[in-house]
Amino acid sequence: MENALRKKARELLQNGEVKVVIGYGFNRRGTHVTPVFITKPEDVDRLVFNPRCVNNLSVYLTRKFKDIRAIGRPAIVAKGCDIKNIVVLIAEAQLKREDVYIIGMACNGMVYRQELWKGELKPEIMPTKCHNCDVRYPHLYDCVIGDKPAFVPPDKPVGMVFDKIKALDKMDSSGRWAFWVEEFSRCIKCYACRQVCSLCYCERCITEKNMPQWIETSAHPKGNLSWNLTRAMHLAGRCTFCGECERSCPVNIPLNLVNKKLIQVTEEAFDFRSGYDEKAHPPMIVFSPDDKENFIK
Amino acid sequence: MNNIYLPHLMTIEDIYEEAPDVRTFSLAFKDRALADSFAFKTGQFGLYSAFGLGESTFCIASPPTRKHGIQCTFRKSGRVTGGLAGLSIGDTMGFRGPYGNWFPLDEWKGKDIVFIAGGIGLPPVRSVIWNVLDRRDEFGKITIVYGAKTVADLVYKSELALWDERGDVTLVQTVDPGGESPDWKGKIGFVPTVLEEAAPSPVNAVAVTCGPPIMIKFVIKALGKLGFADEAIYTTLENKMKCGVGKCGRCNVGDVYICKEGPVYTAAEIKKMYDDF
Amino acid sequence: MTDLFLKTEDLGRLIASVRDGGARFIAPSTDARQTAFKEVSGADEVVSDYILATNSYKEFLFPQTEVISTHKVMKDSVELKGVELEAQGTVIFGARPCEAASLAALGAVFTWDFVDEFYTKREADTVVIAVACTRGDDACFCTTVGLSPDATAGVDVMFKEADGGWAVARLTDKGSTFVEKHKDVFEKTACAPKPLFYPEKIKGVDVEKIKERLSNKGHYEDPVWPELARKCIGCGACTFTCPTCHCFDIIDEGTAYEGERRKNWDACQFDHFTLHASGHNPRDTQYKRWRNRFMCKFKFYPDKFSSKGCVGCGRCIRVCPVRLDITEVMEEMSKLP
Repeated sequence: MENALRKKARELLQNGEVKVVIGYGFNRRGTHVTPVFITKPEDVDRLVFNPRCVNNLSVYLTRKFKDIRAIGRPAIVAKGCDIKNIVVLIAEAQLKREDVYIIGMACNGMVYRQELWKGELKPEIMPTKCHNCDVRYPHLYDCVIGDKPAFVPPDKPVGMVFDKIKALDKMDSSGRWAFWVEEFSRCIKCYACRQVCSLCYCERCITEKNMPQWIETSAHPKGNLSWNLTRAMHLAGRCTFCGECERSCPVNIPLNLVNKKLIQVTEEAFDFRSGYDEKAHPPMIVFSPDDKENFIK
Repeated sequence: MNNIYLPHLMTIEDIYEEAPDVRTFSLAFKDRALADSFAFKTGQFGLYSAFGLGESTFCIASPPTRKHGIQCTFRKSGRVTGGLAGLSIGDTMGFRGPYGNWFPLDEWKGKDIVFIAGGIGLPPVRSVIWNVLDRRDEFGKITIVYGAKTVADLVYKSELALWDERGDVTLVQTVDPGGESPDWKGKIGFVPTVLEEAAPSPVNAVAVTCGPPIMIKFVIKALGKLGFADEAIYTTLENKMKCGVGKCGRCNVGDVYICKEGPVYTAAEIKKMYDDF
Repeated sequence: MTDLFLKTEDLGRLIASVRDGGARFIAPSTDARQTAFKEVSGADEVVSDYILATNSYKEFLFPQTEVISTHKVMKDSVELKGVELEAQGTVIFGARPCEAASLAALGAVFTWDFVDEFYTKREADTVVIAVACTRGDDACFCTTVGLSPDATAGVDVMFKEADGGWAVARLTDKGSTFVEKHKDVFEKTACAPKPLFYPEKIKGVDVEKIKERLSNKGHYEDPVWPELARKCIGCGACTFTCPTCHCFDIIDEGTAYEGERRKNWDACQFDHFTLHASGHNPRDTQYKRWRNRFMCKFKFYPDKFSSKGCVGCGRCIRVCPVRLDITEVMEEMSKLP
């Protein structure tokens, strides 16, 4: 699979179709997989693909990365879940389909965090998204590397995130409130969640706007709550559950929970699933007379 | 506990509209003892508080030779300056300072001085100008080249008139092409070009400049052409600051902390810095 | 003096003794699926099988957010009150010798000419008990920056793991006073500590050489900077977990009439950190921000404060969402001519 990937990358760079291949490679000590930017055909052997390729590299396609855009047209090594974000970027006019060459990777699942890797991909070290993945064979691509995985997602989604959401849904609102206040209280406002997210592409985030100051920037409970809730709301109907924010959080805030819950809510309310159709607009930016009004109480 | 971040309370005694969105405040210390003991040198800066909105950094625009409080001039451009612009005469604001280094006036005794300023860059230079004019006998020829985008953007208009009237000051005013009004009697052109035309002598002279970064860059070049040595060209740098006292870590240009080792530098010193402007 | 011993089961007595004296006891504790420094009330909350707490203990000396003054805006005046800090005695237990060395850097910046008493008052009342490292991981690089698993800089009392407890050494007057105050819990027996974990020194990296190379202004625009920093996503995870990073913001919070001024951690990696009101930004791209952080650690700090800017704890490597490894950059910088 890696050979086919390298061959493709070499070809794309040699024929000038792309100027850079955004992919995965090992760090120098060979202990971790890290994003790499291949600009020369002779460097393609650095590219790897394995269950530790957890990063969603689509963040590097956003306008936050002017230096990368300046290199020229990119090819991106993308798993199905990463491609969902590319789909949203196209749907939200952040990217034209032809602006990027998508090297889709057939995928058998990833580890939740690289540190969990002990040489074997076991279900218990995989994130919830992988257990329910319906895009292990990519759904939007210029080419696909790898064979169609035999995996069929379960009819009813399974995994820790769903179990926890069910448990939270059973709590009364004050219990849920207490849960989230406690979780968010650890937030250190490092904004890793925002920076790693390809859908947080605003050049000036609302938390940096201070006329007026919408969100208190202090890392006290109030500021933390308003930051995390505002970000969740800004992702409602857009988030594809790639899990990068939770993976990146240095204080282990279970952001997947809040994001998945909002995905469920928007799916129920608008029958919309983000990341599948680059021509469909996210429900929060379109108005339809059929929109439900049952939230008005 | 000595709280280095705690400002002094100041009363706004007077407000002057200088240009669109540009205001000068005359400020008096509420604390009488402090009003008497407060001292600063020309070129130093302070942090000015609009309580509830935050602090902003500007130079002290008045000269230390005028002993009544201080003045600051600022353009309304963000949260804090917007808040300050909303204050009226009699209102209270905060000030902490003076911070930073200063222009070495004593080293300039007997020399000609050329002042070159652009737009809102005049306030720090104005502090030096009045300081020098208040000690007029100690210095040689004084030339002031001042320009702004448009006639309306020239600040301290009444003082420009005062300097213009004086026989012992040469004032050259200019506005960018297209910025002139029908009755404009000054020059039309960019400050560095006008400076070259005015051609002040570099012999036994120093130059003091402040303005937008791009103007400073070209003024330093123009001064070089006129024969000024880098050691004789002084400017005052600005960078975003939060603490003003070398702690918060953002005003550094490479290894130089503007708040503590600046803001006043010679062109020679600037050329030695990392290119981190 | 290494003639004292603390039995594992007596840690609880030490904690109780410290807390009885009115001080807080900070130790690595596992909560929310990670081990971090927090205030503990008993030995059962303290963990020992950790490499390094995920947070640095700097937050107990330099809190992430703290009120420095309060103000009330009234019709004719403003009521302004500075916060009078009542520093609480603090014992940091289980610090690693690498991070203890960071206190020199923090102390230098907070006392450089102007003295920030919010920091110094807390620091004066803090006792650092380091536990020498018997374990580490591939992100540890203390030996590469001239430290070691039992380095003593910034450490008041050094604990070394031994069978059934810790060998205890008093390294400073503060440490001696601390041990004297709680002498009942220690035993007077010498013992053999367990072997320590020494991270392999990274080949080809010399911090003195790096400093020298960085002094060459020609290297400031070397194309290697944008290349190395390309994957950086510009979050503050590295700076916020770093034991030497000290940058902060000052902001006002509250209503138009009443509120407080706060000093909050800030990160040089954020794009608005240096953004002028005019729109000009001296460090307008990520590599410039990253370069600033690196130079701050390996050039500016050592030059200005004669202290280490980087202590090799490796937190920035572990926490980085894209695994931007500062030691790889150190290697590259060592290679520059």
